Amino acid sequence: MGDATKRLLQRLIRRTRIQMLKTTLEKWDRLTLAQRQSMVFIQSKSAITEKLLSICEVLMLLVLLWFHCLLDVMDNPNQGMWYAFRLMDPEDDAHSVELMQFKEQFKSLLHELVRHVSVKIKKHADEAIWIRIAWGDGFSQPNHLKPTYVVHYLQTPFVFVTSITSKQKPLLSQALTVSTRHQDLKNANLSGRKLTAIRDLLMQQYPQVFPTNFPGHTAENNQMESNPRRVKEQAGLEADRLRMAHKAFGDGMLPELESAVYELETKFNGHANGTMTDREQPFRCVVKFTSTNLLESLRQCASSGIVSTVTPLFSSIPRSGKNYFVITNKSHGSSSKTSNITEPQILDSKD
Amino acid sequence: MFKFVSGFYCSIVNMERGHSSGVKTPPTRGVVQKSKNKTYQQSYRSCLRASSRFALTPALTARRLNTSRRAPRLHNITEKVRPEHLDILMKTEWKLAYVTPLYQFRHTQLQSYSRQLSEFIAAEKQQGLAVEVEGLQSSFRVSFSVVPGMTEADDDAETVLIQIHSKPMFARQDKPQKPVWSGWLTCINGNPDYLQSLPQDFICLPLFGSSGSEVLTRLVQSWFQQTFDCCFGCLEISETCLHWLAALWTNCHSESSIQRLKLIWTIPVKPVLQVTYTVNPQDAWDLWSDIRKEPGEENEGEDGRSVDIEEVTRFIQGLKNHFYKHFKLDLSAGPLQQVSTALGSAKYSDLQQQIYDHHPHTTDRGCPPQNAHLENKDFKPTGNATFQQHLNTGNLEFFICIITTHEHINTIFTYYGWTNGYNLN
Repeated sequence: MGDATKRLLQRLIRRTRIQMLKTTLEKWDRLTLAQRQSMVFIQSKSAITEKLLSICEVLMLLVLLWFHCLLDVMDNPNQGMWYAFRLMDPEDDAHSVELMQFKEQFKSLLHELVRHVSVKIKKHADEAIWIRIAWGDGFSQPNHLKPTYVVHYLQTPFVFVTSITSKQKPLLSQALTVSTRHQDLKNANLSGRKLTAIRDLLMQQYPQVFPTNFPGHTAENNQMESNPRRVKEQAGLEADRLRMAHKAFGDGMLPELESAVYELETKFNGHANGTMTDREQPFRCVVKFTSTNLLESLRQCASSGIVSTVTPLFSSIPRSGKNYFVITNKSHGSSSKTSNITEPQILDSKD
Repeated sequence: MFKFVSGFYCSIVNMERGHSSGVKTPPTRGVVQKSKNKTYQQSYRSCLRASSRFALTPALTARRLNTSRRAPRLHNITEKVRPEHLDILMKTEWKLAYVTPLYQFRHTQLQSYSRQLSEFIAAEKQQGLAVEVEGLQSSFRVSFSVVPGMTEADDDAETVLIQIHSKPMFARQDKPQKPVWSGWLTCINGNPDYLQSLPQDFICLPLFGSSGSEVLTRLVQSWFQQTFDCCFGCLEISETCLHWLAALWTNCHSESSIQRLKLIWTIPVKPVLQVTYTVNPQDAWDLWSDIRKEPGEENEGEDGRSVDIEEVTRFIQGLKNHFYKHFKLDLSAGPLQQVSTALGSAKYSDLQQQIYDHHPHTTDRGCPPQNAHLENKDFKPTGNATFQQHLNTGNLEFFICIITTHEHINTIFTYYGWTNGYNLN
């Protein structure tokens, strides 16, 4: 067994949780019963490494370890930043792409594009396909310590990627678009640490808001509980604010988005007089909102009155499933990255 | 909390307001009546002055709120301060405190002070007071040194740097040791009248910065208190301070680029929402100069116009209004927590109780009477900077000194703080 492989094995073991290692080894049927039993009492990772090296062939082992690294990430999908992408312009047969077909095509494409690459694909319980890619190049073996993970839901245009460099992205994009029968892979302007959160937001898998002409149930519910003799002075205003907050963000659990970034390139609008308001060039600033649960914070801001109305800037986070916006003053023409707003406007119920 | 991100050296002298009325300490030391009706600035001392043979220095209540400061000048400090000192001072977050003047502190005795402080720390450790993370085995080696070149005015005392290294049991000689605690005492652009009025044996190094564990900071402070009969107090940075910093740093942009003006607010909702507002430096500068050009200001100190609190307020308000127009969120809903530029960064600390505890008119300070000779310059600020600001700024007054080096676009920012003494009357 080569030294490099031994070292790789050691590093992989070090990075994996010991419990995970042990449970997987127990289930691995390549080991004999006696070997498996001898593993039970080993507590330290270095001991496991030694034992495995003495028993197994390298290749088998590596395959195993790669898989449960994959498992590890799948169970803890909240490490590192995830970026959402959208597949654009499906061809006619995009809807009928099947798992096996996708797998074969994707792997073969990537192997054609990159000389040394290692691709593992696994289907998760909720129809998500997890792909682990270890990139090498013309000269070096795949680097298993910095893999890219890709999550795709077949027959939807959504792709979530983590740990990818700008050089690797076009290769991934090409392989994905061809194997899913689309034309292009575009940035969806949504990113976050929690895969579940951005997935729920983008795929709208959380309690949605339905515009209704006869609202008012929520306010009434609250009133039932409090003392009927007590009259809250601002009950009307409070109910209005609550309604506005619920209209924009719904009243159920919200996906735990952590941040939203707005690049403002609009005319300066903060001064009654002075030459700044006459200035033609935009006032450039970047505003970033962060919180452990951003949408919940914004909803609270709306219902407590800190935000006087929910502007399109905030309500477009759940509506369009984005958290990166570039705001300009242009009144016509838009690229896929900008949302143009001339004046902040109050939402009406048709939106 | 400050970060010195090295950069420009500009010094803002605390220039009192009202050029016409002048700020002279009355040569005869008597009681000066305070008029309550107009903006003025005077100092007054009690009847017992230095002439008293009990050396009871006058108690001075000072509620000192600067409503204007002179705009900073630039100095290239690389020529004056050694690079290793600059390295120590910059890129670290410092916690600030004010110090009352030190009695019989000699710059020539630093070696002896190093030894005394090490012994003090060892003794306290024996009593079980200082248990450090590094382990009970390690002892500490203290070094006091002078940092020449930081002072600006002639009367300023030289900056003193204190470093504490841990001496592990099995010391590795080849590894250069990083200090586990650092601190400094400094006086930059001190008010000459005040400095000259100090009695003979006192040295004024009113600003103390520390970086490292709280335990060591307290030990160092208590040693100073015992040895030099001085008092330490927390110099907290309030929201108004942060406004001043934002404006003054932006003011430096024409001479040294600030690279960005970043302001961080926290909005009190559950879960807490943090808003980071980063402004392009050129646009911030344009806004600032636009505000400065507006009519109604008197003119000229020797080095350009002074900066007024109203301009600062209008600057911040302009930024907030621009934000409001887009997001309909009033940033006044929560406190401004942090201001940062390439020249430095300052954080608002959470110890609001401490500031509010120091009621403007109470007299109990815990300072020994011998040291109660802090100068009293009393203001009655105009406009909105009234008692609300009293509570916000506590009992602080500042000389702000922004030091930078041209080469690294780094800034040493020194806050120079004073506080009021107490009222013996």
